[in-house]
Amino acid sequence: MAVETDTDTGFGEVSRLRGTVFEYLSLGASVVGLFALAALLIYVFVDAFGLSTASPAWLLTYFLTLVVPYIGFCLYSISDRAFTRKIALALGGGLVVTAVGFTAIETLLVSIPGLTWQIAYLFLVATPVVASVTFVASRQPLGAAGFGLVGRLVGGAALGCAVAIMFIVIDRPLWFLVYTFGVLPAGGVYAYTSRREIGWPTAQATLVGLFGLGVSTQLRQILGIYPSDGLIYLWTLAVPLAAGAAALVTLRDGSRRAVAGVAVTTLLGGGGGFVLGSSALPTGSGVIIGAATVAATAVYLVEAVDNEGRRGLLLPLLIAGGALAGAAVVQTVGIPTPEMWLTPAYLTSAPSNEAANAGLYPAVVGSIIIIAMVAVLSFVLGVGAAVFLEEYAADTGLVGRLTRLIQINIANLAAVPSVVYGLLGLGLFANLLGFGFGTAVTAALTLSLLILPITVISAQEAVRSVPDDLRQGSYAMGATRWQTVKNVVLPEAMPGMLTGTILALGRAIGETAPLIMIGAATTVFSAPAGIWSRFSAMPMQIYAWANYPQAEFRYGVVAAGVVTLLIVLLAMNGTAIIIRNRMEREH
Amino acid sequence: MSQNESTIDSESESLITTDVQPDTTAESASSATTIVETEQLNVYYGDDQALDDVSIAIPENQVTALIGPSGCGKSTFLRCLNRMNDLIDIARIDGTVTLRGIDIYDDAVDPVALRRKIGMVFQKPNPFPKSIYDNVAYGLKVQGKEITDERIEEALRSAALWDEVKDQLDQSGLELSGGQQQRLCIARAIAPDPDIVLMDEPTSALDPVAASKIEDLIDELVEDYTVIIVTHNMQQAARISDQTAVFLTGGELVEYDDTTTIFENPADDRVEDYITGKFG
Repeated sequence: MAVETDTDTGFGEVSRLRGTVFEYLSLGASVVGLFALAALLIYVFVDAFGLSTASPAWLLTYFLTLVVPYIGFCLYSISDRAFTRKIALALGGGLVVTAVGFTAIETLLVSIPGLTWQIAYLFLVATPVVASVTFVASRQPLGAAGFGLVGRLVGGAALGCAVAIMFIVIDRPLWFLVYTFGVLPAGGVYAYTSRREIGWPTAQATLVGLFGLGVSTQLRQILGIYPSDGLIYLWTLAVPLAAGAAALVTLRDGSRRAVAGVAVTTLLGGGGGFVLGSSALPTGSGVIIGAATVAATAVYLVEAVDNEGRRGLLLPLLIAGGALAGAAVVQTVGIPTPEMWLTPAYLTSAPSNEAANAGLYPAVVGSIIIIAMVAVLSFVLGVGAAVFLEEYAADTGLVGRLTRLIQINIANLAAVPSVVYGLLGLGLFANLLGFGFGTAVTAALTLSLLILPITVISAQEAVRSVPDDLRQGSYAMGATRWQTVKNVVLPEAMPGMLTGTILALGRAIGETAPLIMIGAATTVFSAPAGIWSRFSAMPMQIYAWANYPQAEFRYGVVAAGVVTLLIVLLAMNGTAIIIRNRMEREH
Repeated sequence: MSQNESTIDSESESLITTDVQPDTTAESASSATTIVETEQLNVYYGDDQALDDVSIAIPENQVTALIGPSGCGKSTFLRCLNRMNDLIDIARIDGTVTLRGIDIYDDAVDPVALRRKIGMVFQKPNPFPKSIYDNVAYGLKVQGKEITDERIEEALRSAALWDEVKDQLDQSGLELSGGQQQRLCIARAIAPDPDIVLMDEPTSALDPVAASKIEDLIDELVEDYTVIIVTHNMQQAARISDQTAVFLTGGELVEYDDTTTIFENPADDRVEDYITGKFG
């Protein structure tokens, strides 16, 4: 096949040797990369959850109570005999292959540190199988309903956590006043004027809002007594969330039947958080997280109830039940549990000199606050610069030459090492502008500058990829440049701009060098109280722990930190990707 | 920018933001019939000359076809009429173009306001990635005119598309077939009620059935609008146009006359060679 030979067909044969060699070389390159990454992730996960200390009995218990029912649910929702057989074969055959292969390598070649064949099976066979059945099942009505509900639960909780963390640095009494006297009246004015079609709703609402803001800042100086944080959150977040969720349901469903239900459950969720507020979860955060989770779920349930895949809604119960059953079996039989590092306590407590008490909470809060600021800053600046360079700046003449110069420099800036940006941040923001050493503001501005070239370049690509046909069509309709940018270019380029910003944010959240340069603390013991206070970020804390002499820190605690960092990154990217896909679908 | 906005807000009927006297000679020469007139129009893209001394008078409420081989400047000419060439940095325009006696390249003419009087349909259907309704409403929206369902329906009916899409106005314009998309673009162009509709090879990307629908549509449009159409298809020009202008390579307008004269008894030998297929 590969070499040219004479055959009796009379056509001869064409050599594909070089093409075939190239194909396998490229395959090899990608496989090597993926395997290196997979090996790294497996070890980090094994360390973070202490899986190397897990007994086979513990693994088997949870495999039977959690993994097997989950796969069973997915296969039931797919209900395709051939597929079920294939999955069973993969699970069974994979078991034999992994056990035999692993033992063979250990006895004949080298011993593999930190892994047993059971854990290898978990990662090499069980995880891919779970991923593939999840993927296929999520396309069936039954599975889609279940995964949709799980997704809303997890997403709502994550969103609630993010909002709760953002509110740590906001002055709650001031927010209470601003919401009551500014946001609420402004929203009311906007709704009223736009429904009655009188005047300019946006302008009037802005005016009212600004007036309210002024009044609130004055009142904040005078008033001394405020409701508790929990009540403030209930009034300013849970109530509007309930109203918004109810409005969403009427908008999509048309019927007013479910509205009251959604609103009431959301409020109950917020109130429930109030009641459940415990030491692990402050009351205020409980209200936000509860309301966000319940609102997202309630809206979804109202829509899914009429669908055929109603039984799929049992999935979250199945997962929770499986986890509880596993725990019960482990408890009653007396199976030793592995020494886990990534636990709820790890996420909610402060760093400590003892590995067993070490926590990442202040660093997680610091990272999330900084990333939120970076996201807003770099998106606004990046999109602004990109739109100017692509849509407004002339291509010819002096301006054109200047634009080209800027263009080349942006590309070069993207390649400047992050330490240099750290120096810039130190000199410009910390020293010259006096934003303080190691404060959250300085860090956010420095990281925004660091990723600005990437966001600008990717936003430019997005603007450039908007077909010129559309611009021409808009201009030919008598649109001004601004109208064309606003109505045609920005909506069309938005998904691409978001993708670029997401990727850049991924880089920003993991940066350590610039944070060291601007004097960020490696370890702080309480969450930052505001954007002007000192903070630590996840990569800084992980970096500090990696230098501790105790092995527990270097393996367990650091691994748990890395997994947390990855999870926060994934959650952030996931949210942004969902928003982006929504926007793409709307087009 | 602020000047543009003020023109929108006042919804003034005039293109001109300051007072300019219409060119009286042009008006008297063409009083009732001529709507667009060019004199010695030259267009350069950098050092390349795209149009060479084109002088033409286009009558109102008729179909004028511009034909000629590729690269002869037909589209450039069309884009001069609504100043779309202004958007190309390297384009330079010489000579005069008058619309109802007003020089549209006068400094006082706002090109955005001018384009609001002139609809344009492009070679490739280019509906916006919005709903059918929003596509048709786009011109009304950017021009600050009132958007009413009646107006949208009227535009879609004039574009012979209403019966096919009346139940799916919320659907994306991109979900329509190519021919429907092009008719949607025509509906979009005529919704703000322009004086002239420019069409740049509107059927060249369409199949013959869709193309013939557009041709029928042009026949009806000409009752209300002046249509200027660029086409590669000589049969099409012969079928639908009242006047035909033949451009040849180098941006030269070789002959301009009644369509019947051009196709049956052209004065210029090169035109005869071109339309009988001997070159081009």
